[in-house]
Amino acid sequence: MKTFKVIATVLLLASGVFAEKAALPKDLPAYGPEKPLQTPSVKVSKLDNGLTVWLVSQPGFPKLAFTLAVHGGLASDPADRPGISELLSNTIDQGTKTRTAKQIAEEIQATGGDLIAGSGKDATTLLTEVLSSKADAAITLLADLAQNATFPENEVALAKRNLADSLRQQEADPSFLADRQMARVLFGENPYHVTSPTQESITAATSAELQKIYAQRFRPDQALLVAVGDFDNDKLLAQVKTKFGTWKAGNEAPISTPSRFSSTMKPTVHLIPRPDSVQTTLELGTLGPVRSDPDYPASQVANAIFGGTFGSRLTINIREDKGYTYSPYASLQTYVATGVLTAQADVRNEVTAASFNEMVYELNRMATTSPTEEELATAKRYLVGLEAIRLQIRSSVARELSRLWIYGLPPEEIGENGKKIASITGTDVDAVAKKYFPARNLAIVAVGEEKVVRDAFEPFGLTVEAGH
Amino acid sequence: MRYGLTILFAATLAAMPVAAQQWKAPTTMKKLSNGLTVVVSEDHSAPTFGVCVSYGIGFRLEPEGRTGFAHLFEHMMFEGTPDAPKGVLERVIEGGGGNNNGDTRYDYTEYIETAPISALDPILWIEADRMKTLDFSAKNLENQRKVVEEEVRVNVLNQPYGLFFAIDLPGKAFDTYPNAHNFYGDFKDLDAAKIEDVQTFYEQYYAPNNAVMAIVGDVNPDEIFTKVDKYFAPLTSRPTPPKPKVEEPPLKAERRSQQTDKLAKVPAIAIGYRMPERHSPDALVGAVLGELLHNGQASRFYQSLVKGKQVALSVSGGVNWPLGAPFEYNGPTLMTSFVVYPATATEDQLLGAYDATIKELVQKGPTQQDLDRVVTKMRSDWYGQLEIPIDRASALSHAVLFDGTFDRVYQIPEDLAKVTPAQVRAFAAKYLVSTNRTIINRIPEAPAKGAEKQGEN
Repeated sequence: MKTFKVIATVLLLASGVFAEKAALPKDLPAYGPEKPLQTPSVKVSKLDNGLTVWLVSQPGFPKLAFTLAVHGGLASDPADRPGISELLSNTIDQGTKTRTAKQIAEEIQATGGDLIAGSGKDATTLLTEVLSSKADAAITLLADLAQNATFPENEVALAKRNLADSLRQQEADPSFLADRQMARVLFGENPYHVTSPTQESITAATSAELQKIYAQRFRPDQALLVAVGDFDNDKLLAQVKTKFGTWKAGNEAPISTPSRFSSTMKPTVHLIPRPDSVQTTLELGTLGPVRSDPDYPASQVANAIFGGTFGSRLTINIREDKGYTYSPYASLQTYVATGVLTAQADVRNEVTAASFNEMVYELNRMATTSPTEEELATAKRYLVGLEAIRLQIRSSVARELSRLWIYGLPPEEIGENGKKIASITGTDVDAVAKKYFPARNLAIVAVGEEKVVRDAFEPFGLTVEAGH
Repeated sequence: MRYGLTILFAATLAAMPVAAQQWKAPTTMKKLSNGLTVVVSEDHSAPTFGVCVSYGIGFRLEPEGRTGFAHLFEHMMFEGTPDAPKGVLERVIEGGGGNNNGDTRYDYTEYIETAPISALDPILWIEADRMKTLDFSAKNLENQRKVVEEEVRVNVLNQPYGLFFAIDLPGKAFDTYPNAHNFYGDFKDLDAAKIEDVQTFYEQYYAPNNAVMAIVGDVNPDEIFTKVDKYFAPLTSRPTPPKPKVEEPPLKAERRSQQTDKLAKVPAIAIGYRMPERHSPDALVGAVLGELLHNGQASRFYQSLVKGKQVALSVSGGVNWPLGAPFEYNGPTLMTSFVVYPATATEDQLLGAYDATIKELVQKGPTQQDLDRVVTKMRSDWYGQLEIPIDRASALSHAVLFDGTFDRVYQIPEDLAKVTPAQVRAFAAKYLVSTNRTIINRIPEAPAKGAEKQGEN
C-alpha cells in the first residue's frame, strides 16, 4: 500500500524539467560518416592442463596488458569468513616458494607495471600493464603467483591488522556504507550480499584458510589468461606454455556456478546514521538483467536515458535545473547470477526529501512514458561510441575479455554489444523501463544525519529502518 | 573536476625511460594568426579522436576574495552560449557518441572530449563557439554555484580527511595568496561571485591566444588544420593580463600543526617539502625521488613504514601530487606525502621512521638498480598517459601551454634515464630537510562526541 502512496505523492509534487528541447544551432555542422569499429581479433588456445589463453596482438604501442582471472570471489567466501577474498587479494603477492614480498614488488616495478589483485562477487583477478619488452618477466611472475603463493604467517598477520584499520577507514566513507547496505538489502541471505570483510572475519582468518581458498580457486582448468598489446602471438604463447604449463589443479573441489535469482523489495528506507554528515547519500537499487539476457542492451539504453550521462533526465533535473547535487549517477552492473540497476546522489541535507522525490519521479517517468526520438538516438550513439572509445585501450580490452569469460560468453562477443544497441527500438526501451524502473520494487538506502533522514522521508509514508 | 569524483586521485604520477624502446608519435603544431596554438598527433589504431583545449588560467591566478573562482568558471563553460544554449553541448557530444569533461588545476584549465571520428566537426564547432563568447546568465551561475558547493561537500566537507593534504597543506606551506589559498573555494567567496566576474574572467583569460588545442586520433594534420582554420580563425585575439609574480619567500623553519577530523576513524599525516622551480636541473631529480619514495609496494616509504616499522597503513604522494604529473606545474609546488597510520602508532613514531628512511637515502643513496626500476616504471606510466588519445591530447596541450613546444612530452623519458644515484642523494640532502617542510597531523575527533550527538537525535 505504501508503494502506491509513493507514486501518488511523486506525481503531485514533482516539478520535473521536461520542457521541449530547442532546435540545434543553424551553423552546427552535421556528423560525418560512421567509420566501422575494428573489433579485436582474439587468438584462443587451451593448454594441456586446461588453462584458457586469449591473446590479442596489437602492435604499435610498447605496452602490454595482462589479466589472470579465476572463478570464485566474494560470493564464494565461506559463510563464516565473509570478505576473506579481500585478504586473499592483499596477500597473494606477499610471498611464493621462491620469492619474498619485496622481491615480488621490485620485480613488478622492473616490468613497468603495478600488480592489481582484486575480487569481485564471481571472480578473482590479477591485472598488470607492463612494457612490451618486459613481457617474459611479467609472465614469469604471474605464473609464480598463480601456482606458488605461500601466504606467510607474518605477512598475513600484518595484512590482517592493516585490513582491520582500512575497514574502519572505509566505514567513514558514505558511499562505502551505502553500497554495503544496498547489497545487504538487494541480496538478503544470498552470498552476493558480501561486499567487504567484517572485523570478525578478519580477526578469525588464518594463513591455512587462505591457502585452502587459493587452492580451490587457482587451478588451471578454472582460469583464464588474457594478454593484449604489442607481441607476436606464437612467441607469447610459447612463453605462456613454458611458465604456466607446470600449473596443476589441487585436490579441492572447484567453485560451483551460482544460480540465477530474483527478489522483491519492500518499500522501506534503510538508514545508516552518520553523525556530522553535511549531505545525505541516497542510493536506489533494483535487480536487473545479466549480460546474456536478451533485454540487456535495451536496459543499457534505458539506463543512459535515465541517468547514465550528462544529458540524462536525472542529471538535467537534479543537477542542471535544481542544483541539488554534483554527481547524480545511474549504473547497470552485471554479475553471473543477476544484474543490478542503481541510482545515486549525494545531496545537501536540506534537499534530501526533494531529491528523493525527483529521483522517484524520474524512475516512474521512465516506467510510464516513452523516450523521445532524440533521447533514444542520443543514448544509442553514446553507448556505441563508448564501446569504440573503450576498445582502443589495451587494459579495457583485457578487462572486457575477462568479464566475458567470467559470464561464460565467448571472446567473439567483444564489440558485439554495440551492434545490438544500434538495433534497439523505442518499444524495446519501453518494455525494460516497465520491467525494471517502477519505484514499487526499489531498495532504498540513505546515509546521513539520522534526524535529517527520518524527517525527510516522513512525507512519503515510508518505513525508515536503521540498517545493519 | 566537473564530474568525475575520482579524477583528483587518479592523477597519475607520470613519467619516463631507461635507454631502449623509445616511443614517439607523429606530432605537428601550428599557430593561427589569432594566437591559438593547435597540436595534432595521429593515431589510426581506432576510428576515434580525443581533443583537449587548455587555457592558461588556473587556481593560482584567480582573484583575491574569489577563491574557487577558476573552477566555478570552468563549470560556466558548460552552461551554453548565445548560439548554443545550455544543454546543446551535451546533446551534440553525447549524441555524437562521445563524452566530455573539464578540469581546473593550478596552472591550466582544460576541456576534454573524446568521440568516434564522425563527431569531429560538430565538436570542433562547439569548442570554437565557447571560445567566441558565453551565455552570461545569472540564473545559470546561481545553478552552478549550488552544484559546485555540492561538489565541495561531496569531495571535502562530507569526506574523511577532507583533502587536507591537497588543500590545507599548501595553505600552511606557502605564504602568498596565489599558492596558499583554498582552490576549491570558501563558500563566502563562491556566494559572492557575480555574473560580471564571470564576464571579466572570460574576457581576460579565455582568448584564443591564451589557449592550446591538441587533437589526437584517427586524423590527418592537413585536414585538421583546414577544419581548425574554418572554425577558429574568425575568433579575435585579446590582450591577457601580465603574469603576476607567484614566487614564495623562502621557508626558514619547519611548520607543524594539528587538526581534528569529525568523520575520519583513523589518523593521517601530510608532509610537504617545497620543490625547486620546474625548469631547474634539479626538478627531474625530484620527480624520480618522489616516485622512488612513494609509488607502489617497492617504494622506500612503503617498505619502511608499512612493512618494516609497521607504523603506517598506506602511503601515497610525490611531486605535484595529487593534482598532476610531476612535470605539469608552473609555479611553486610541493613533494607531498600522505600517510594513513594506525591509532596504535604515535605521530612521533611515524615521523621517526619517516625521517630514518630519508636519512638512510641521504647517507647511502639509491643503487643504480633501484633507479633503473623506478625509471622503467615512470616511463611505462608516462607511455600509459600517451596511449589514449584524450590523455595524449591533454599532455601535449599542457606542455605547449607551459613551454611553447611539445618536445618535452617525448623527451621526458630520456631525461629521466639520465638521473644518477648521486643526484638523487644530493637532492634528498638539499630539499628533504626539516627546515623545508610543513606537516599537518590530522586525528579523529574523540568518538565520545560523535556518540553523544547520535544519541541526541
